Amino acid sequence: MFSAPQTSPKVFSARPPASGGDAACLRVLSPDVYTDWESVYRDNIRRLYGLMYARVGNRPDAEDLTSEVFRTALRPLRLPSSKGEVRSYLLLTAKTVLASHWRRRLGLSVTSIDEESDLAYFNETSGLDQPSDAPNRAGRILAALPDRYRRILELRFLETCTIKEAAHTMNISINNAKVLQHRALRMAAKVALEMES
Amino acid sequence: MSNRRLTAFIDALVIGRRPRRFLAKAEDVEVLRTAIALRAERPGDAIPDEQFVSDLYEKLADGARSLPAPNIRVMKMRRSRVALVGVAASAALVGGTAAATEAIVRTPAPATAIRAPFGTTLRTGTFVTAHSRVMGQIVAYRGRPSWIFMNVDGSNYTGRIVCELQSEDGSTVAVGHLSVHRGMGQFSRTIKEDISRLRSAKLITPRGQVVASATFI
Repeated sequence: MFSAPQTSPKVFSARPPASGGDAACLRVLSPDVYTDWESVYRDNIRRLYGLMYARVGNRPDAEDLTSEVFRTALRPLRLPSSKGEVRSYLLLTAKTVLASHWRRRLGLSVTSIDEESDLAYFNETSGLDQPSDAPNRAGRILAALPDRYRRILELRFLETCTIKEAAHTMNISINNAKVLQHRALRMAAKVALEMES
Repeated sequence: MSNRRLTAFIDALVIGRRPRRFLAKAEDVEVLRTAIALRAERPGDAIPDEQFVSDLYEKLADGARSLPAPNIRVMKMRRSRVALVGVAASAALVGGTAAATEAIVRTPAPATAIRAPFGTTLRTGTFVTAHSRVMGQIVAYRGRPSWIFMNVDGSNYTGRIVCELQSEDGSTVAVGHLSVHRGMGQFSRTIKEDISRLRSAKLITPRGQVVASATFI
């Protein structure tokens, strides 16, 4: 369904001779070109949503930001344009929209979009539900934690347990579960930083 | 207080709700980033709801029907230029400003395009009339000094127009006048205002009628 550019984007124009007067120009478009906004939308909506979801971690925000990117980017877009150009443009818009989101929400940047790696994800034909390296990174972080820390985070983030359910499963008090989660996240953050360095 | 807000933010993430805003501290960032990464690992959630996909399509289609022919073409960017804009956007995160999309205005001759400078923080907006007609562009960039550039095109208006810049709190922070001839006009000036605080711009006739407005992104 999602076709990635196989070659460098090209637009060919077969123009009639100068003496052709008002004869119509024939315009042959490469398959790596978007000719209408519907194709741009169909081809990129899921990728863009997946990317935003990986950056904000919740569906309502991911949907709002995805909408904002398309509303912002499609209005001035002139087609036909190559897929590469359009995707770079979408990604740049997404980067801006995400930056504004964090500025409004928390006053500082928490996650961002990287043109190179995320454009590569945009151009991939598979792995649509795995934008960037977020899942692998999360797995590595969890694996590096002590058992109890890993368990509380798995229960909360992967198994969607409430703090009460997680406390019950681990046979600890709710307050203990809260403290454990807090410490586990702090340690996970530390592990994440070490992984980057 | 921040710890409680941080916990509430994380709790909202866990149950899939929209987290509430708060002023985070720098030391919270990695915790939040890790929480988001963990949440994003939950299978299936990275795929959009089909209802959302079709609803958004309908909204965009409605918008597309009410618009005139587009006048902006995606710019072919060199890798170095992409990097420059990326740097601007990254700097924007710290300074609280968002770098905007990069585009070249291509209007029917003899309209003149304004080339925005790169390598610094940019914000742009598109002037749109009440009837959703694109009427021009405005670009703000942070520098020493900061500048505002704008062009107007696409109407039959001739005369003076006032451009007002509004900040986030709704107050008017800068005003400029430009002469529009047969719908076309340009304007540039330095501003003292921090461009990260700009929210919108309005074009207003001398009689006070708002012709078009733009929201900075």
